[in-house]
Amino acid sequence: MNSGIYETVTQWIPEKSRVLDLGTGDGTFLEQLVQTRHITGEGVEKDPELVARCVQRGLVVHQGDIAEGLDQHADGAFDFVLLLGTFQELIQPAEIIREAFRVGQQVIISYDNFAHYHVRLQVLFQGRTPITPALPTPWYRTQNLHFLSVADFQSFCRDTGIRETRRAFFNSHGMVHFRPNLRAETAVSLLETSR
Amino acid sequence: MTLAQNSSAQGDLHDQKVADYKSPSGVTHLHTTTLSGIRTQSGFKFEKVDVSYQMLGKLSPARDNAILVCHGLSGTAHVAGTDAETGRPGWWDYHVGPGKAIDTDRFFIIGTNALGGCNGTTGPSSTNPQTGQPYAMDFPPVTIHDMVAVQAKLLDSLGIKKLFAVVGASMGGMQALAWAVDFPDRVRICIPIATCTAHNAMQIAFNEIGRRAIITDPNWNHGNYSETGRPAHGLAVARMVGHVTYLSELAMARKFGRRRQLETGHADQFSVESYLHHQGETFVKRFDPNSYLYLTRAIDEFNLFENATTEEVLRRIRSRFLVVSFSSDWLYPPAQSRELVRLLKRAGLAATYLNLETEYGHDSFLIENLPFANVLRNFLNGEYAPDTERRFAHLTPV
Repeated sequence: MNSGIYETVTQWIPEKSRVLDLGTGDGTFLEQLVQTRHITGEGVEKDPELVARCVQRGLVVHQGDIAEGLDQHADGAFDFVLLLGTFQELIQPAEIIREAFRVGQQVIISYDNFAHYHVRLQVLFQGRTPITPALPTPWYRTQNLHFLSVADFQSFCRDTGIRETRRAFFNSHGMVHFRPNLRAETAVSLLETSR
Repeated sequence: MTLAQNSSAQGDLHDQKVADYKSPSGVTHLHTTTLSGIRTQSGFKFEKVDVSYQMLGKLSPARDNAILVCHGLSGTAHVAGTDAETGRPGWWDYHVGPGKAIDTDRFFIIGTNALGGCNGTTGPSSTNPQTGQPYAMDFPPVTIHDMVAVQAKLLDSLGIKKLFAVVGASMGGMQALAWAVDFPDRVRICIPIATCTAHNAMQIAFNEIGRRAIITDPNWNHGNYSETGRPAHGLAVARMVGHVTYLSELAMARKFGRRRQLETGHADQFSVESYLHHQGETFVKRFDPNSYLYLTRAIDEFNLFENATTEEVLRRIRSRFLVVSFSSDWLYPPAQSRELVRLLKRAGLAATYLNLETEYGHDSFLIENLPFANVLRNFLNGEYAPDTERRFAHLTPV
């Protein structure tokens, strides 16, 4: 995933926040947050080998899927719930987000933009499911279940009563400020719920 | 020696012969001390209680590196090292010792034999000072909490106020949980492995088959058997049932399949039959049938949340947790550990949880098991780092 996302998220998280990182991988980013933002955190990860590496880093980690990782916690147990790089793989994204808002005050989500112009051109001129630097996996091997765009995500937020309080867009050259639905490869949003 | 050759379906190091196995801890010794003023939950007051225990490694000058290791149903105080008399390694020699997951070069390890047991700690086979005879069925019912209270008294006598960690699997895991609740200020890290907060009907059922086998053995005689006429058949059957529940279908298929025991001349016998017979016979030589009744009863009666709501019980806890289950453990299924973790987290406690993929069933914690050893080692080392308390304070709900 774009390293700009991690830098941005680090800036969004105040010192000493309580953070639940869903799909934490080997815990690299969570450990960084612990070291640089002095957060108290917990990771949720399915892959036992990655979980073992989180333990090695001295992180609190839960081996299980994202729904289970959320269900374990009391209401409002965290300031931030992170869903970085896994949003498109969730079977029931709306339900996961609802649970995330039960457990956390704010939710940070990153997703790949399926309306980037590389994608649009490939669909238009080749008539095939696109393979781009940002979406490198062919359709039969991808973990992604949902293909959404920046515009889709914004209407999803509107329809589900979620407010995007901050957002940032990236492509391989860096941050994207202009026409993100066309030019951004990945996006990250800081969300609050109005419900 | 590979994992598969060495460890599949063989039980703990007490009861198996592993060729060329040599304990890195060398020869170790057990100690016995006598404690007074022990009163059980049921109200029985012991005049004295003997406790068998083992110490490994060195207590740090700050006295902050003590780890209590709690054994399962059939374990003893002999955690690691070679017994001077029998030459047998301790039951957790694979995981406790110099450079092992629970590193005796770093930590000070205490193992004790549980109250009600039969390996040096007072139990039904001990002499009742009132009668000069073995207690037998006059021994009071003991609980997991009673066992823990005795361990706490032992630590008092050793001058250990606070444990860095309490670690236990199965019955030992119940003790670890009881420690965190009964002595919250004395436990920094709690590591319950392959255990639960209360037995379910199936778990009670298997124990009851074992108990029934013992008390229907004609030699049992209401618990008053002689040394030469013990209810050995009943205890052996109990152990056979136990062993089946400690293994897994896959482990048994791999180790025994439908093979026959040709080399011993019993061509009509399946290998698994002769294995179970052997396990039964070995166990009878070292375990007291009445102890089996009392300890399994203590396990079945254990309920971490009896007489109080889960919130009330968990609110007392000050420890941080590592909870481990094994995918193939059908006696203490991972779902029970997951439920424990859920309750801990909902109470705002920090808990790391792993469900390790192993083939060896409940016995997975006893055998040589590298992923398990690594997790244990990494967790202990990570938590022992001096800045831990600051980095990972309790996650308190808003």
